[in-house]
Amino acid sequence: MLEIKNLHANVDGREILKGLDLTLPTGEVHAIMGPNGSGKSTLAYVLAGKDDYEVTEGSITWNGVDVLALAPSDRAAAGVFLAFQYPMEIPGVATMTFLRSSVNAVRKARGQEELSTPDFLRLVKEKAKTLNIDTEMLRRPLNVGFSGGEKKRNEILQMTLLEPSLCVLDETDSGLDIDALRVVADGVNALRSPERSMLVITHYQRLLDYIVPDRVHVLSDGRVARSGGPELALELEKSGYAGFGDEATAA
Amino acid sequence: MNLSVQQFRTKAEQELLDLYTKAEKTLPGAGNPFVADLREKALATYARLGLPHRRIEAWKYTDLRAHLEDVYPLATPRGAAIGANELEAALGKAIADFSAYRLVIVEGELRDDLSDISALKDAGAVIVSLAEALESPPEWLKQTLSKAGPREDDAVFALNTALMTGGVILRLPKGLTLDKPIHLIHLDGTGDPATMVTRNVIMAEEGASATVLESYGGLGMTGLQRNAVTEIEIGDKAAIHHIKFQREAVETTHLGIWLATIGADARYDAFQVSTGALLGRNQIYVGFDGEGSSTDVSGACLMRGRQHSDTTLVVEHRVPSCVSRELFKVVLDDHARGIFQGKVIVAPDAQKTDGKQMANALLLSETAEFDSKPELEIFADDVVCGHGATSGQMDEDLLFYLESRGLPEAEARAMLIQAFVGETFECVDNEALREAFAGVSADWLGVQVE
Repeated sequence: MLEIKNLHANVDGREILKGLDLTLPTGEVHAIMGPNGSGKSTLAYVLAGKDDYEVTEGSITWNGVDVLALAPSDRAAAGVFLAFQYPMEIPGVATMTFLRSSVNAVRKARGQEELSTPDFLRLVKEKAKTLNIDTEMLRRPLNVGFSGGEKKRNEILQMTLLEPSLCVLDETDSGLDIDALRVVADGVNALRSPERSMLVITHYQRLLDYIVPDRVHVLSDGRVARSGGPELALELEKSGYAGFGDEATAA
Repeated sequence: MNLSVQQFRTKAEQELLDLYTKAEKTLPGAGNPFVADLREKALATYARLGLPHRRIEAWKYTDLRAHLEDVYPLATPRGAAIGANELEAALGKAIADFSAYRLVIVEGELRDDLSDISALKDAGAVIVSLAEALESPPEWLKQTLSKAGPREDDAVFALNTALMTGGVILRLPKGLTLDKPIHLIHLDGTGDPATMVTRNVIMAEEGASATVLESYGGLGMTGLQRNAVTEIEIGDKAAIHHIKFQREAVETTHLGIWLATIGADARYDAFQVSTGALLGRNQIYVGFDGEGSSTDVSGACLMRGRQHSDTTLVVEHRVPSCVSRELFKVVLDDHARGIFQGKVIVAPDAQKTDGKQMANALLLSETAEFDSKPELEIFADDVVCGHGATSGQMDEDLLFYLESRGLPEAEARAMLIQAFVGETFECVDNEALREAFAGVSADWLGVQVE
C-alpha cells in the first residue's frame, strides 16, 4: 500500500505540492488528473526521487518502507517505477545494453540471480513482441531517433522487465495516436495484478477508456481536491477543470 | 635594439644535455658515422631550442620547461620478469588479452623472449630492433630518419633522436596484409626513476595494410620520464590503423609524438586513449603527400587529480583532394586539465580539401579545466573546413533517468561517461579493440558495469 501524508514539495524554491494526502491500496489502479500546474508531474518525480524536487514536509511509505529515505536506484529495487512523460535520449548507450544493466542491477539489489545474456535476450524478445517493438529498435542508442510512440512503448517494456510493484505513469498518453495508445494501454493492462499498484497520471480522460481506474483523484494547487470512482473522469471530460483552478480549460 | 639574448638554461635542460654526454659512446649506433652525426645534429637542435615553454604558441598550455625539474638517468634494462599478471596489472585485462603479434619493449629494450618476432617474420613483415638497426641502418631508414619536418624545430623530437635507445623498425612489404594486428607493448620497469627514449619506425609499402596498437603501462617504477616517437610512412594504396593506449602511473611524464606521411589513395587512422601520466603531451603530425587519401585522427582522454593531458595535432594538406577528420573527447575530474590543439594547414595547391575537427569536454568538477585551440591555415580557395568545441557538465536528467531504472549512481555515471567517450571508439576499425575500449571508463572509475 502506498501512503502519502501531508506531502509538501518545492521546485526551485517554489512550493508545488501543498499538503497532498493519498492512499493507494495494493492491487488497485488510481488515476491522478488535474489541470496544468496542479502538481501531477511533481508528484511523479518526488515518488521516483529526482534531486531538485525538495520535500519539505510529509511522508511517503510503500508497503511500510520510507520511500523518501531511499536513493532513486534503491526505490527502483524496492519496486517503484516511473514511466517518464519525456523519456531521455542517451546517445552512446545501446538500448539493449541499458536494459540488461538495468534489469540485472535491480535483480542484484533484490537478491535475485542476474540473468545470463541468452536468458536475458530471450526475455526481452518475448516481451518486446507483445509491445510491437522491433528488435532492430533495441539495437539503436537509447531513445535516440525514436518516435513518440516508440519511446512510450520502450518505457512500458522497461516497466515489464523490471517487474515493479508500484507503477507511476506520467502522462503516458501524451504524444500518442490512437493505435499507439491502444498498444501502450494493452501493455499496462497486462501488468495489472493483485500484487501491483498503479498511479496513472493524465490530463485527459481518453487514456482511462483503455486503462480503467479503480479510483480517480483530481489535483488542484498541490492537493487532492476531489476523489471518486471512474465516473469522475467522465464528468471532468464534460465540464473540464472549471472550479479546479484552471481557467483555460474552464473557458 | 637587439633583444634576443642567450636563454638561461634550467637545471633540467642542462641535465638533458649531460645525459647525452654521458651516454654518447654507449648509445646504439655510436660506431656508425651516419647515426653519430644524426644524434649530434639533433642534440644541437635541442641545445638551440631548449625545453618548450608557454611563450611558444604550440606549448601555450603545457609549459614543459617549468614542469620538468629533474631529469632521471637513462633506463638500464634489467630483464624484468614479465608474465600475464604483470601485463594485466600494467594495461588492464582487456588490452593485455588482446590477440595480436606482440612486440614487448621493457625498460627501453625489445624483449625477444616476450615478443612474437619469428611469427611476425613468418607472416611476411620485416622486423628488427631499433638498437640493431642503428648499428648499420639500411638506406631507406637513413632517408626516413633524415627527412625534413618537425624534427627540425621540435625540441622533444630532437631529444628523442639524440637519445633514442629502444623500439622497433617494422617494414610491411608491398601488398602485405597481416592476419592479426601488431601490439607494441611499452612498459617501464620496477627500479629507480628513469628516462626512457624509444623510437618506432613503421614503413607500409604500396598496398600494405595493418592495425598497430601501441600500449604504454607501468610495472611499478616510482618515476618515469618517457619520450616516445613513432614514425609511420604510408605508401600508395596502403592502410594503417594506428591506436595508442596510455595507462601509465600518475607520476609519469609522457611525451609522445606520432609523425605520419601518407601517399596517394592511402588511409591512415590514428586513435589515442589516455588515462595515465601526470603530464601527458601527445603530438600527432599527419602530412598528405599523395592525392585521394584520407585520415581520421581521434581519441579520448580521462583525467583526474592534477593530471594534465595535452593533445596537439597538425594535419598538413600538401596536395589536393584529401579528407581529414578529427574527433576528441575529454573527461576531466578534480583539478585535471585537458588541452586540445588542432591545426589544419591547407597548402595553396591543396584544392578540394575536406577537413573537419571537433573537441568535446565533459567536466565532472568545478575545478577541472579544458582548453581548446583550433587553428585553420587555409591557402587554397576551394575547400571545406570546419571546427567546433564544446564543454559541459554531466546531464543530471540523464543521470536520474538511469538511476530510476535501478542503476546505482556510480554505475549510472560510468555509463554516461562511457557513452560520452564511446562516440570516438566508433573510429576504431578492429572490433575486439573497440570492445576492449568499451570498458575503459569503468576501468578508470574503478566500477563494475554490466
